[in-house]
Amino acid sequence: MTLTRRGFASLVAMAPFLPPASAEEGWAAIEKQAKGQTVHFNAWGGSPQVNDYIAWAGAELRKRHGITLEHVKLTDTAEAVRRVRDEVKAGKDGSADLIWINGQNFHVMKEEQLLHGPFTEDLPNFALVDTDGKPTTLVDFAEGTEGFESPWGMAQLTFFADGARLAAPPMSMMELLDLARDEPGRITYPAPPDFHGTTFVKQALAETMADRAQLPLAIGKAEFIEASKPLFDYLDRLHPHLWRDGKQFPQSQAQVTQMLADGELLMGLTFNPNEAANLVENGTLPKTAISWQNRGGSIGNTHFVAIPINSRSRAAAQVVANFLLSPEAQSRKANLRIWGDPTVLDLDKLTPADRALFADGDAPGAVKAPARAIPEPHGSWAPLIEAAWLERYGA
Amino acid sequence: MSRLGAVPLLLLWALPLLLALAMLLPAALDGAAWRMALAHPQLWPALAISLGAGTVAALIATMLSLVLIAGFYNSRTWHGLQALAAAGLAVPHLAFAIGFGFLVMPSGLLARLLVGGEAPPRWVTVQDPWGIALTLALALKESPFLLCAGFAVLSRGDKAGRIRAETRAAASLGHAPGSAFLRVVLPPLLRELRWPLAIVFVYGATVVDMALVLGPTQPPTLATIIWRALNDEDPATNAMGIAMTLLLTMALTAALGGVALLLRAARRGLRGLLTAGPSPLRSPRVLATALGILALAVLTLAILVLVILSLSPRWPYPAVLPPAASIAAWMNMTLAPLWLSLALSFAVAAAAVALAVLWFETQPPARDRWVIGIALLALALPQLATAGGQYRLFLPLGLTGALFGLFLAHLTPVAAYVLIVLAGPYRAFDRRYVAAARALSAPPLTAWLRVKLPLLKAPLSTAAAIGFAVAVAQYVPAQLIAAGRWSTLPMEAVTLSSGGNRPLTAAFALVLAAPPLFAFLAAALLGRPRWR
Amino acid sequence: MALRLENVSIQLSGRPLIQPLSLDIEPGETVTLMGVSGSGKSTLLSHVAGDLEPPFTAMGQVSLDGVALDGLPPEKRRIGRLFQDDLLFPHLTVAENLLFGMPRGPRPERLAKVAAALAEAGLLGFGDRPPNTLSGGQRARVALMRALVAEPRAMLLDEPFSKLDADLRQTMRSFVFEHIAARRIPCLMVTHDKADAPQSGRVLLLREGRVNHA
Repeated sequence: MTLTRRGFASLVAMAPFLPPASAEEGWAAIEKQAKGQTVHFNAWGGSPQVNDYIAWAGAELRKRHGITLEHVKLTDTAEAVRRVRDEVKAGKDGSADLIWINGQNFHVMKEEQLLHGPFTEDLPNFALVDTDGKPTTLVDFAEGTEGFESPWGMAQLTFFADGARLAAPPMSMMELLDLARDEPGRITYPAPPDFHGTTFVKQALAETMADRAQLPLAIGKAEFIEASKPLFDYLDRLHPHLWRDGKQFPQSQAQVTQMLADGELLMGLTFNPNEAANLVENGTLPKTAISWQNRGGSIGNTHFVAIPINSRSRAAAQVVANFLLSPEAQSRKANLRIWGDPTVLDLDKLTPADRALFADGDAPGAVKAPARAIPEPHGSWAPLIEAAWLERYGA
Repeated sequence: MSRLGAVPLLLLWALPLLLALAMLLPAALDGAAWRMALAHPQLWPALAISLGAGTVAALIATMLSLVLIAGFYNSRTWHGLQALAAAGLAVPHLAFAIGFGFLVMPSGLLARLLVGGEAPPRWVTVQDPWGIALTLALALKESPFLLCAGFAVLSRGDKAGRIRAETRAAASLGHAPGSAFLRVVLPPLLRELRWPLAIVFVYGATVVDMALVLGPTQPPTLATIIWRALNDEDPATNAMGIAMTLLLTMALTAALGGVALLLRAARRGLRGLLTAGPSPLRSPRVLATALGILALAVLTLAILVLVILSLSPRWPYPAVLPPAASIAAWMNMTLAPLWLSLALSFAVAAAAVALAVLWFETQPPARDRWVIGIALLALALPQLATAGGQYRLFLPLGLTGALFGLFLAHLTPVAAYVLIVLAGPYRAFDRRYVAAARALSAPPLTAWLRVKLPLLKAPLSTAAAIGFAVAVAQYVPAQLIAAGRWSTLPMEAVTLSSGGNRPLTAAFALVLAAPPLFAFLAAALLGRPRWR
Repeated sequence: MALRLENVSIQLSGRPLIQPLSLDIEPGETVTLMGVSGSGKSTLLSHVAGDLEPPFTAMGQVSLDGVALDGLPPEKRRIGRLFQDDLLFPHLTVAENLLFGMPRGPRPERLAKVAAALAEAGLLGFGDRPPNTLSGGQRARVALMRALVAEPRAMLLDEPFSKLDADLRQTMRSFVFEHIAARRIPCLMVTHDKADAPQSGRVLLLREGRVNHA
């Protein structure tokens, strides 16, 4: 460990030891410290809407808190995880101050003690989060966040299609099988371990397995083989009717969306319930687009922001996280014309004025009847699902 | 001549690369990583697809470019062909893959024009399990590289006149143009092109971006599996990726060695062919014209398709033209990354050419195989591995997030390409010209500047243009080493494309093609012999 | 076999370079065409050989043994050529250079011809050497033998001795003319040096585009 690192660590560590008369004063101290700092926000950069939203947040943060927000655009969040890991190993200051994260990336970082925290309880706006109605704001892929990441938005597996070509959408995995039989070659999903592909398979698992209560628990290989029998029976029946006879699969969710837009496929899938509405908005899909979630519920989760342990601007990073939770920022994010990412806040906890910000009309392509969210299975399921899928259908 | 001339190249290029590779050694020697790699159910079929696509694509690209060179050598279309090759080389691989894909895929332009109907036909034209679409696109995309490398050899100042005189001599001995090309022009040409040919094979077997768009998916190419593994957040999976990388590299080395052995075995037969006597073999002008027009048509259509795609958020089947146009995608362009990319690429390309020339001028030719070996390694290994190693190497030195670190990371692939393109022509230079200049009492530097440099301007400007194009296209090293502190054009383009928004991807692909296009046109103009 | 030029004229970008010229060369005869450099004499040879390139154009008729050559590509004319440079192919050995132009046939027969040609040139045992290991004189002899084993019906010599030193020049001259005479083929040589011409043959002068007998 080098001198500089120890010096800087103790400096930052001082903030909590200042005797705060109250939570407000403590927060005021953090805000004061944050002034003039730069936050390198490492966030996926594949969507102009999201990028524009982050740019807006940056402008607001500069105006209100004197913080410079730099959006470091990533193609894959794992890149930031690897970078922080290498930096910490080398005893270097962090190049990332805030990371858009969830699931496996979060688990790895928390386990390897690469994250600063717990910090979420210190954020004034965290009190507004709907932790009861949206339990995934505290439990990320069946693992407690323990204050190491602050919720940002909600996600839930949602299917979409052109209503002009698919009038009666399949509301369950069984109905999907019937549809695939009727429309051979027009349905598919991305091959796991693509994130969306794995989620599709998890959804099929949740709908086919005998006892869903197993899902939040850790599972071993032997039990998995037993538990996944109905799943693979189902997939064996489904695959022959899929695109390319279920022998080839698209590489990504984006490719599925594109093939849907081109007319080669009948339906697509997404984690953002408002994605189809968004795609109508930017012209990718026609106004006749429809979205739905499976009747019995669909896999849902939350995405978060976390602060790497070696960040030089932890105070400012917390102020950014808090700002991202503000009713103003959350409502703007939920606005279909801007991003359309569902809020993590509990609207009942907001002032009427703040609540009014969320009034959003019915947009073409939006989900009409939201279903309940099925929390992500415990993290031990995904690797087993992916390995078994690869073994069976990979070659 | 000083041996020390090797130092800059070794210090700035070879050392950062080799030390970066050394950072990967622990993972490469990790038994668990190897067990995981060998247990991967897709490993062997994926390796077969990678090697198959690389081999067949290299063969087709070689045949195609040689037929074009043979058909148009010494003809009036020769310079036109050079411009075409330059344009083809400038188009980024990913851009070409998207354009080509949209031509042939079931919902693509050809299907719309030829088949129609309500829903797209159930063609298996892209992402076919055999990798045919990937192979064809690779072959088409790599031919311009071979063509440019070939032009660099044939237009070289000390050689162009000599080769023309030799073909004339062959004609006086009864050889028709095709026979003269085959027996007089081709053998030395192929000798100087051996490293570019090797790199075409290596590139085809290791490409990721094109494979993601056009390649098979179950199993995908091994490079795709490696790319995903190295991208994973789990260190054990990263290590498996390194082990697979080592395996793929060994397979490529073995394949190249096998080809060398095969050629040695076939040497007698090949020499017999050279001396079989005059033959009325015509120059394949008709075939070359046909293939040239076909290649030009595919290239033009692919670019045209890109332009249309960049302007159409929606283009549902079976419409032959998109229902509405929008410039939304083009509004996302920001200029700051463009300037950084241009300045950085220019500096890196110039430095690479200077370092390579310094090496060639001061080192005996026998040592070339070492730097060429390192260059091939630099290009064969996945950049996530090499640049990832470099990241770890640069981190304690304070070079991450620094412009100089960015420069070094770009230099790794750029100098490799420059060395590979330049080695053949530079070493084959007729040294008597310099000797003659020295005999006319020109000091060494004057002789070099006034005689050798002008005579070698075709290969030098081609190498510089290729270096520039390679530099402009770098994504992985830029993203890793910049650590979010700098933003280059491909970083902007690739991150935005990761959302799969086709208009955006197409628009950025076109923007990425522009700087290299100008570089190649400049090179074609600069490299044009004055004495023609 | 006779080489005949009838009213052959050469233009450079449309302007006359060589005025109409008629010439008959009998089998075994060598005609020397003399002119200063730039007079167009090498261009005339290119026309006879069939590889005249723009901006040069030509009119008139060239025939060999009564058959018109005009329009025929160089390789079909069977006219051997010696250039100022020997133009031996560097990627082939001496023997392979000789095989290069030799008509196809059974391999042993062709190899025997190579051996004979090498012996004739005093280069026995040099067959496997690359050309760049030979001396200038040796290379010049290989170049001639290479042209002759291709069994030409006529020969064109373009200042073939200009790059040889004085001693070598004398021996090479007699070597070349003896072999051409022995094969009884017509030969046209261009040079700027009168000493290059064979003693017995005709010598023509090319001056300002017109040809006069010396």
